[in-house]
Amino acid sequence: MDLTRDQLLGAYRTMRMIRSFEDKLDELVKLGKLGGFLHLYAGEEAVATGVCAHLGDGDVVCSTHRGHGHCIAKGVSVDGMMAELFGRSTGICKGKGGSMHIADMDKGMLGANGIVGAGIPLATGAALTAKLKKTGGVAVAFFGDGASNQGQFHESLTMASNWKLPVVYVVENNGFGEFTPTDFVVPVKDIAERAGSYAMRSEIADGMDFFDVYEKAGQALAAARAGEGPTLLECKTYRFRGHFVGDPLVYRSKEESEDWIQNRDPLPTFETRVVEAGLVEVEALRCVDGEVAEELAAAVDAAEAAPLPRPEDVLSDVYVEA
Amino acid sequence: MARELTLAGAINEALHVAMQADPDVILLGEDVAGGGEREGDVDEMGGVLGITRGLVKAFPGRVLDTPIAEMGLLGTAVGAAATGLRPVAELMFNDFLGVCLDPLLNQAAKLRYMFGGKARVPLTVRTSTGAGMQAAAQHSQSLYGITTSIPGLKTVIPATPADAKGLLLAAIRDDSPVVFCEPKGALGVRGDVPEGDYEVPLGVAALAREGADVSLVGMGATVHMALEAAAILEDEGISAEVLDLRSLQPLDEDAILATLEKTGSLVVVDEATPRCGIASDVAALCVDRGFDFLNTPVRRVTAPHTPVPFSKVLEDAWRPNAQDVVEAVRGLS
Amino acid sequence: MATPVRMPRLGMTMTEGTVVDWPVPVGERVEKGETVVVIESEKNEAEIEATASGFFRHVYVEPGETVPCGTVLAAIAEAPDEPFDVEAFRRENDLAEPQASAPAAARAPLSAGGRPAPARSGRRAPVAPAARALARKLGFDPAEIPGTGPGGRVTKQDVEAWAVRRETLVEATDGVRLEVPTQGQGDPLLLLPGFGSDVSSFSLQASALATRHRVLGINPRGVGASDAPALDVYDVAQAADDAAAVCPESAHWVGASLGAAVALEAAIRHPQQVRSLVLITPFVEVTPRLGAVTDAWCRVASDASTETLARMLLPWLFSERFLGDVKARERTLRGLAATVARVPATTLERSAAGLHAWSGTRGDALARIELPTLVLVAGGDLLTPGGEAIAQAIPNARSVVVPEAGHALAIEAPGAVNEAIAEHLASVGG
Repeated sequence: MDLTRDQLLGAYRTMRMIRSFEDKLDELVKLGKLGGFLHLYAGEEAVATGVCAHLGDGDVVCSTHRGHGHCIAKGVSVDGMMAELFGRSTGICKGKGGSMHIADMDKGMLGANGIVGAGIPLATGAALTAKLKKTGGVAVAFFGDGASNQGQFHESLTMASNWKLPVVYVVENNGFGEFTPTDFVVPVKDIAERAGSYAMRSEIADGMDFFDVYEKAGQALAAARAGEGPTLLECKTYRFRGHFVGDPLVYRSKEESEDWIQNRDPLPTFETRVVEAGLVEVEALRCVDGEVAEELAAAVDAAEAAPLPRPEDVLSDVYVEA
Repeated sequence: MARELTLAGAINEALHVAMQADPDVILLGEDVAGGGEREGDVDEMGGVLGITRGLVKAFPGRVLDTPIAEMGLLGTAVGAAATGLRPVAELMFNDFLGVCLDPLLNQAAKLRYMFGGKARVPLTVRTSTGAGMQAAAQHSQSLYGITTSIPGLKTVIPATPADAKGLLLAAIRDDSPVVFCEPKGALGVRGDVPEGDYEVPLGVAALAREGADVSLVGMGATVHMALEAAAILEDEGISAEVLDLRSLQPLDEDAILATLEKTGSLVVVDEATPRCGIASDVAALCVDRGFDFLNTPVRRVTAPHTPVPFSKVLEDAWRPNAQDVVEAVRGLS
Repeated sequence: MATPVRMPRLGMTMTEGTVVDWPVPVGERVEKGETVVVIESEKNEAEIEATASGFFRHVYVEPGETVPCGTVLAAIAEAPDEPFDVEAFRRENDLAEPQASAPAAARAPLSAGGRPAPARSGRRAPVAPAARALARKLGFDPAEIPGTGPGGRVTKQDVEAWAVRRETLVEATDGVRLEVPTQGQGDPLLLLPGFGSDVSSFSLQASALATRHRVLGINPRGVGASDAPALDVYDVAQAADDAAAVCPESAHWVGASLGAAVALEAAIRHPQQVRSLVLITPFVEVTPRLGAVTDAWCRVASDASTETLARMLLPWLFSERFLGDVKARERTLRGLAATVARVPATTLERSAAGLHAWSGTRGDALARIELPTLVLVAGGDLLTPGGEAIAQAIPNARSVVVPEAGHALAIEAPGAVNEAIAEHLASVGG
């Protein structure tokens, strides 16, 4: 593995931040402090982190309603995200987007998206821009197994293949599309098989293992940057929590989810790997845990203290003023 | 210097000018090149109505034929616009809005707002509207009422060739997403078109004809119906003023109220169906902000609340025409 | 606290009454409901009941005296010897209303503003918003303005036309201004329309007359755009004075029906201003039928549309022969509806009061009219059949009978009427 100690710590920090952030949101919702629909990414951290470790600000990422993890992994400010969730004017979207629309164009984060599959063509378009303007950038679309049934998935992959666009389509197959198991609604065993319809490269990664995701994402992104066209990267993963906060999870067996949570958690998996390989010390990891907890607590405090938007703000940012 | 072009020709010219001036302007759509980049003894179609002929040769690599995948193509165009290109996507018939409403409704229209002002989607969607070609129910609608109603989108519709060129150039250069409607019933209209690069501002209506007794408000093909009606009414001693809206969102409310104030009588002509459309929007404006100017009821001349029929005699009955406008005016007094 | 006994108003047209008898002696007890005074008005006697029990304390008006309605006649006190200020009591309780009935009585004050009457009788006509806004700006009540839009809607143009009409009003008497459409040049000739009509009822005469005369059509009080002062009665003498004020020069006075009555009054009151008289279907006494038709006219105008009113009037105003011509009838119906629309119900009531008050008062005076007079008689006149007798009573009068024509002679037989008038004017020397 060609990752430096700093990179490994950075990856761990990202995953820890994502997990803590999502756990904190669950807590805040139960305290009645947050409004709206929240879809938590806990359990899937390795995918966002493993892919985004290869990306810079000039690369564009599109995400889904379950987008906090991709935002954090892409470098969007945690303070800004927390303030946004609290609906403050200091939020990364000035309080006008909320959980499902968190974005930061400066960081190449073209937004979480409330419409299933809508990010796929957007990323395809970003790749078109990169290719035509020769920026050297790539685009990544994160989406779920359910979105791979959307018409716009098929249309986008068709076009990306036709035009050999520099885009990687990362499907996070977490076994459920909302409350319905994937195998009920996806006729193929592996979503990666669908790439064949578009004469597209495909790859399957263990979404609970940062290193597997990192390696395979790296290959796909390198191919994209080299002008070899798109890849469909399927990451097999699991959603530790419900579809949304408040989901009673009656459609999933406790036994099954306990098994994933206890035995397949990407954070302990990462920790075991790097500690056993002598790459990072346990104390360093605990230190990161502490820093993340502090940073998160400060973000919550800052968000709660931040000003609310004014009613007039409803009217701004509809159009670009001349 | 002006020369005579058809409305379709004026659109083609605008695209040439825009693409020449800005390398970020690209065209994408189904058959927009239409065969222009193939080997062998084949030539380009330049679109189903020939409007984009010549562009793929003039700007190779910037006129992209897409699969028949409206949602994917519009969505891709949105993504490209949000990340630095200035795409002009074609939705061949606005009737296909059904398969690609989300990229316009929930993405293009809302990214800027949802992202707190950070995103910019300088997308233009060219699309054909209207009946009159016996294209039947699924290829003859005028759905600009839908896009007009979506905050974050702009919608424009020219009636004259000169306006078509200037309005499209302005739409392409506008940094907000603009739906540019090309009325099928007016594509063949001929008129003087200035050469060179010029813009017709969005949100500004134009008086196509001055008058004193009644105001006829139209858009696209209906402006010509109104002008024809005005000529007939002239012989009956009624002086009709014709206002060409040109822009549906933003809407030139001041121009509408000014003509209403002048004549006290207003008839709005729209070849769309009657419910929740532009005609009702204009009528509501008159009653809301022009109440004291009203000397007669506001009449809406629209198509009936039905799909568009195929048979010519039925389509002619469906589509508003100058005679309908004349009768509406006569019925005011 | 004492209770007043006042002269009651027993009918819409009653303005004064005469005390006939006091049945209860002063000082005696009187019970509520008991007859406390007998009065007489318009030749009818009435017993008036006490509205409270008490002691009959004071009489202000003796038998034989005539006082206006509302005048305090007597006082009923609660106790026989309670303190009672005679003058103060009368003053505090006096509700006597302004007199306007008799020709010699003092003129009543006008209501503020000299406003015309509401244009529409019965239902309220719709008003276009632009018309309403303009009317508000100009200070008009849209209800005053006749509407020419669909359904009688008042349009902006109607308001503008009204403004013009109101601007060109002519001062008559007491600050009242009348609408006097004028055309032609030459010696003056006045047109005085009949009951419930305006000058347009002479539309078939006016332009012919205007070739040789300055024709002044006089819309009297409450008709068209003329002011409609809030009086109980528009009396005939007042109308004559109004017209005389509008045209002080000596003029030919052409009146139809009630307009002829006005002309007769003028001939008596302002003879030096009347060069000659043309009386079209005149009357000096209101027959029972005329009274009934007038009453029906008022009611229908109040309750129904002008079209219904015109339909009701048609058989009373036109001959059998005319009614048999369906085309002429329908054509006339439209014109008649437009004419009657210009006289609202309030004016009709006031004019009717004036008409009844005048009836029978000038029969003897006819003999003293020395002016050259033409009386046009309609052979089929159901309402005013006494025209020949009037022509005989006026010394210098001549009658022309148009056989088989109805009361609306000038409308039904314009040819005969115009010819007769022309001949008359020629014979008078202009």
